[in-house]
Amino acid sequence: MSSIVLAGVGGQGIITVGKIIGEAAIIEGKKVLMTEIHGMAQRGGAISVDVRIGNYDSAIIPHNSADAIMGFELLEAARNSYKLKQDGFILANRRMIHPMPLIRAVSEYPVEQVDTVISKFKHMYINADEIALSIGEKRSMNLVMLGALYATDLLDIKEESILQSIRNSFTNPRIQEINIRAFFEGAKVLREENII
Amino acid sequence: MKAAEIIDESKKVHFLLGNEAVVRGLYEAGVSVAATYPGTPSSEIGDILYETHKELGIYFEYSINEKTAFEVAAAASALGKRSFVFMKHVGLNVAMDSFVSLGVSGIKGGFIILTADDPSLYSSQNEQDNRFLGKFAKYVVLEPSSPQELKDYVVKGFEISESVGQPVMVRSVTRVSHLRSNVVFGDRKVVKSVIGKPDRSNMVLLPENSYRLQPEVSARLKKVIENDYSKNFMILEGSGEDVIITSGAAYNYIKEAMERLKISAQILKIGMVYPLDVERVFDIIMDKKRIIILEEGGPFIEEQINSIIAIKGLKKQIYGKITNDVPPNYELTVDRVTQVLAKIYQIRWQQPISTLDLPRRPPEFCPGCPHRASYYAAKIALRQKGWKEYVAPTDIGCYTLGYYEPYGIGDMLLSMGSSIGTSNGFSIFYGKKVISFIGDSTFFHSGIQPLINAFHNNHPLVLVILDNSTTAMTGGQPTPENSGAISSIEQIVRSIGIKNIHRMDPYDLKGSIETFKKALDEDGISVIISDRECALEADRKKTKGEWKIFQVNQDKCKLCYNCVRNFTCAAFYIKDKKVYIDPELCDGCSVCSEPYVCPFNAIEVI
Repeated sequence: MSSIVLAGVGGQGIITVGKIIGEAAIIEGKKVLMTEIHGMAQRGGAISVDVRIGNYDSAIIPHNSADAIMGFELLEAARNSYKLKQDGFILANRRMIHPMPLIRAVSEYPVEQVDTVISKFKHMYINADEIALSIGEKRSMNLVMLGALYATDLLDIKEESILQSIRNSFTNPRIQEINIRAFFEGAKVLREENII
Repeated sequence: MKAAEIIDESKKVHFLLGNEAVVRGLYEAGVSVAATYPGTPSSEIGDILYETHKELGIYFEYSINEKTAFEVAAAASALGKRSFVFMKHVGLNVAMDSFVSLGVSGIKGGFIILTADDPSLYSSQNEQDNRFLGKFAKYVVLEPSSPQELKDYVVKGFEISESVGQPVMVRSVTRVSHLRSNVVFGDRKVVKSVIGKPDRSNMVLLPENSYRLQPEVSARLKKVIENDYSKNFMILEGSGEDVIITSGAAYNYIKEAMERLKISAQILKIGMVYPLDVERVFDIIMDKKRIIILEEGGPFIEEQINSIIAIKGLKKQIYGKITNDVPPNYELTVDRVTQVLAKIYQIRWQQPISTLDLPRRPPEFCPGCPHRASYYAAKIALRQKGWKEYVAPTDIGCYTLGYYEPYGIGDMLLSMGSSIGTSNGFSIFYGKKVISFIGDSTFFHSGIQPLINAFHNNHPLVLVILDNSTTAMTGGQPTPENSGAISSIEQIVRSIGIKNIHRMDPYDLKGSIETFKKALDEDGISVIISDRECALEADRKKTKGEWKIFQVNQDKCKLCYNCVRNFTCAAFYIKDKKVYIDPELCDGCSVCSEPYVCPFNAIEVI
């Protein structure tokens, strides 16, 4: 059983990652639940997706019980930390998307405040956008994140299932291949950091 | 979701959104006709049907509004076809007149209306519980808890509808329609539909006909109970001296909450909430110690249980919304159910804190959104004309976000089209021209009639139609204009007899400001059509070479901050007190580079 929160901002490919995880669980015959919350904004609003694999009824992860948070954006990673259990893990992408109230107030991004929240937990920062760019497809950032999370073994899903799910998610063979590469690059970073 | 996935064979398991599961349900049930007006949280059903309806063999249309969608489906049913109409909860208010009448007429081909309620108001103006409206109009009301049940209830709902001759309501909520989970496919039914003329003595509700039909309506509902249909929608689980009665999404939170508190109780999950088989329910609960009722929305099941208990003269402690043991508002969660049960069972439970003191990220206009430019131009025009105070009714769409600072536009909003309706009323006493904002799809939905009313009753107003050529907020569904059926909104406005019609491109701030100023000076009704495609839709059509990205030339920037304080595009950000543009977010619309936003010409193309 595992409960994962995917948090970020609209347009970061978060729901795609949730679907890939879910499809992989279904390939293995497991029960999976996924729910998303986003406000009325099409782009730029906060998004959080809860994914739970195993014998749950509630898709919404209760407070203090998520195994991991995939933070696609720093502030959103911190914002959702209340869902994490005490020994849970935060994977935080070093991407800052400035929220409008701060921009309007001519204020800086709250880097230290966010770091203080994230540092209370077992965590790892990752430059997923840069890694994606380095393999030539910046939109594959979400698959870099998935690879890094996968390497923690928190998902309890076989590699062949997740790869099959990635292949099923993209029809274009070139996109398929680049996303699988992004997945392995993400996994490599986490394994090299040896965080878990 | 592709058609190939929807028509996959029986027994296959797919990872489906509740709304996707509905489409599979329609396919299994052999539905002929489906219609809607898009509304979250039910929009995806339409998105999928729009793409796949031909392969599925279903006639589908985006109707002009929910009432018309309802009537399209009702007529198909009157001819003997299985028909389906779906909408968000408040959409039912629009369809209400015909909705109630069909409850009297009854149906021929199976008829289901799916309403997706929105407890916690993720994207709505209220959290009305449409089960009450289903009961009010004497529909059979089914309440699924999961995508699997959504699909299964749609299939079973058609059978019940046809067998008793009454329409069926499937009441979903955000957390079921937008829940994604395993869905096991069932067999596709072979439906024999015989097309015949509508039964006019039932379908024309002259007082005489309707008078005769009244007892028949009750008889149809009675047949639902007599045929014991509700049994198939009831699940009794677990054991204990207490019983928790539940339905819909609320069911999903109970077991985990009980595990946390280490308590046990029997759970009675009710899927057919109206007509409720109260005798069966009574037999289950009569010997129980505590009766706890957990449901989302109003005390719908609770009221029915209270009344059967009162009729039977049973003395029982009931814990629910009426007794203030269950909170009256918002969706439930494991955390909320835990708190409710902890209080009833007098167990100490410390709910973890959920709010961290971090900067909020409220919804905002997308980079490149034409609405931002329209509001920005309107504000400048109003300031230049010296209008410090004005009344500006707004409407339902992305542009409602103009309510927030720095635009602060929007003084009244009740429902779709109410911007123009309330403008009519404001203009009587306000003493100044009212400035009203409505989007193109909302104008087609219910803006045309109040505009005719304004013309008919001489209500002066400046109406701004924000025409982005799509139904943007629900994900870009077609409108009568962008489908090419109607050549332009201008043509409609002109045909009413309105003379002062202006077109502007909001990306051209100078021209737009002049247009606003001119309209404010005119007598009577002025209509401004702010004409610019939704940036998200336009982006999808752009080729790589067409993308322009802007940046702030720091040598030219005088740090006046007008761009971030008053224009406030989401692509801006602040670092070391300087303004930057995030190249990942910039849409390249170029509006911020105009002197009305940056008087120092510091914003340039990279």
